[in-house]
Amino acid sequence: MVLLSARCWLRSRLTDRFWRVQEVLKYARHFRGRKNRCYKLAVRSVRRALVKSTKARREKKRFLRGLWVTRIEAASLEHGLKYPSFISNLLKSQVELNRKMIADLAIYEPKTFKSLAALAQRRRQEGFLAALGDGKEPEGIFSRIVRHY
Amino acid sequence: VAKTSLTSPPWPEVKLPDPAEEAKYHAEVVQKVKELIAAGRYGRLFAVVHFASKQWKITSEDLIMMDNVLEAECGDRIRMEKVLLVGADDFTLIGRPLLGKDLVRVEATVIEKTESWPKLNVRFWKRHNYERRKIITNPQTVLRINTIEIFPCLS
Repeated sequence: MVLLSARCWLRSRLTDRFWRVQEVLKYARHFRGRKNRCYKLAVRSVRRALVKSTKARREKKRFLRGLWVTRIEAASLEHGLKYPSFISNLLKSQVELNRKMIADLAIYEPKTFKSLAALAQRRRQEGFLAALGDGKEPEGIFSRIVRHY
Repeated sequence: VAKTSLTSPPWPEVKLPDPAEEAKYHAEVVQKVKELIAAGRYGRLFAVVHFASKQWKITSEDLIMMDNVLEAECGDRIRMEKVLLVGADDFTLIGRPLLGKDLVRVEATVIEKTESWPKLNVRFWKRHNYERRKIITNPQTVLRINTIEIFPCLS
């Protein structure tokens, strides 16, 4: 005889519910409170945690660059230079170290950082002298002080 | 002409040292460094190398992991050419922006080519039934820096 519909006892039942639940709970084991044990609470927390980690991977680059800038600023102030003049003078002297490297050098190689700061200082002074020019006034212009009475 | 607030520049007056004396001093320093290098009286050398679009501070026997593929088999020796800075305890050689290839030699070996741990990329908008999950495994290469050598050809 041909069976036209499935029998009542032949149902498709979920047999690996435990492992499906464990896949989510394994990411929540180090959380605080009931969300490290109860599936319903854990699903929401794990989803939020993964979304935050994906966004944070992009923010990490911005954060680290700010950290390097802070460290370089602190180190250059120890040598009497401010961060903007330090970086701009290093770039004008064609030294193309990025901020990560300069921050690492400032931490682990203080003598090298001191020489870089001296280089930037010297380039800064040369820049000032170049900006002053000859020291002569331009022709055809006279300067006088106007007094209002 | 009377003095106003704009007669003198806002920065303190700067006097550079005499160029002839400075040139002599520079030549002396270069000679001393050349002698040190030729005599080999430097300890461990460190170098700043531009590699895989990143800058690395490396010494010998160092491990480096890049987040991309390198077209070299495992066990190949590689010479890194873009060296920005080389330093030892007493002296540093700063490149503008790179140091010459006849001055520094950095050798490395490819040790391992693997994939990173599976990172989960999840995008989710609440109340919109939008959830996208993606597993990302970046290819990685591990290099071991064998040696950093400098040669006494300064000028």
